Amino acid sequence: MNKNEESLSGQVWNLAELLARVDNDQELLRDLLTIFKEDFPLTMRSLELAVAAEDFKNSARLGHTLKGMLSSLGGQRTAAAAARLEVMASAGETASLKGALDALKHEAARLQPELDAYMSEVRH
Amino acid sequence: MKILIADDEAVSRRLLEKTLERSGYDVTAVENGKRALEELGKLDGPRLALLDWVMPEVDGPGVCRAVRTRSQQAYVYMVLLTSKGTKEETVLGLESGADDYLTKPFNVEELRARLRVGERILLLEDRLVEARENMRFRATHDPLTSLLNRGAILDLVARELHRSHREQKSTAILLGDIDHFKRVNDTYGHVVGDEVLVEAANRLLGAVRSYDFVGRYGGEEFLVVLNSCDPHFAPGRAEEIRKSISNRVIQTAKGSLTLTMSLGLLLSSEWGPRSVEELLHQVDNALYEAKAAGRNCIRIAKPATMVEPAPAVLPQSVRLRR
Repeated sequence: MNKNEESLSGQVWNLAELLARVDNDQELLRDLLTIFKEDFPLTMRSLELAVAAEDFKNSARLGHTLKGMLSSLGGQRTAAAAARLEVMASAGETASLKGALDALKHEAARLQPELDAYMSEVRH
Repeated sequence: MKILIADDEAVSRRLLEKTLERSGYDVTAVENGKRALEELGKLDGPRLALLDWVMPEVDGPGVCRAVRTRSQQAYVYMVLLTSKGTKEETVLGLESGADDYLTKPFNVEELRARLRVGERILLLEDRLVEARENMRFRATHDPLTSLLNRGAILDLVARELHRSHREQKSTAILLGDIDHFKRVNDTYGHVVGDEVLVEAANRLLGAVRSYDFVGRYGGEEFLVVLNSCDPHFAPGRAEEIRKSISNRVIQTAKGSLTLTMSLGLLLSSEWGPRSVEELLHQVDNALYEAKAAGRNCIRIAKPATMVEPAPAVLPQSVRLRR
């Protein structure tokens, strides 16, 4: 576990919280996960470009968008990583920003298989 | 009830949309602040709005500020959605004109409860507006005939005279008095007298254009203001108004009655810039002369220097006075 991971709290994916938020509506849940599967890679790609270009304004904005998207889906740790990136970008901290992006990618890589597994499970 | 959701992030937007539809709201969802302002600016647009703080084009607080600067619009209850959590940001959001804020990710029950608060506020606002409009109507209208009352019609006369002088047009002022009205009251009672007044008011309203004004000036006296009235047509218009009273019997609780009205007529273009009081005095004199001439006719108030046109151009019941 690296330093970034240690300071992030919460579950990788809090399914119970999400189910409560959608009133146990499985169809809506699938709908949200489908939107996520489409939007998340695009937003991440834009974020990577913004961070590489040291575009702090867009990095902060995209970090904020990801934070909202992930927290709505119950991806607590990944949302926390996005929140930290947003803070770094707003503060204009180049070195920390790249570290925050790595941490976000790391958390996203842990979250996505859980979402995929759930999607595959409910599909059958 | 209509509600607007403005959020650039598709997952949150879809979640909110579905949650609110399930709660019975008629949802419009948009992805930026500019579109939110368009929706909220529509005549029959939503009056409840959930606005994300960070959005492209115009952010949530920007939408709140823009909505609050619109004065001619029904109140919109706006809730800011924010993942920002500091007290300073909360204050900033509320100062921008938001009514409330919710922290994302939202709790469904809290969201519904806060929107119910919004609905209660809007209901109270509607009742207040309705009460204010009722009070305004009562303050400016005659309770019996629902015509403009004396104060309101005099204000309008002043305004229209000023406007017609500025635009170099003519306003026609007619002062009409129901003939032998006292006899109606004495013979049939005040209930029938009131019926007669209401019917006369309706006939006067029916005889003028939608942008003219009719007011109850006194007991059985009515003031009619014809805007932008060509002086050549004014006597004919006055004659139509007189006939609207006399050409049909009035059905009352005590049977049918024949009614007539005497009228004084004044054209502002013939008098130049004079005070409202003076012009009303002149039209009142013309009315008095119509009464003296046998009633059920019109007399036109003319300044002493005016030359009388050929009598043939005026209806028989219309004559000039000086």
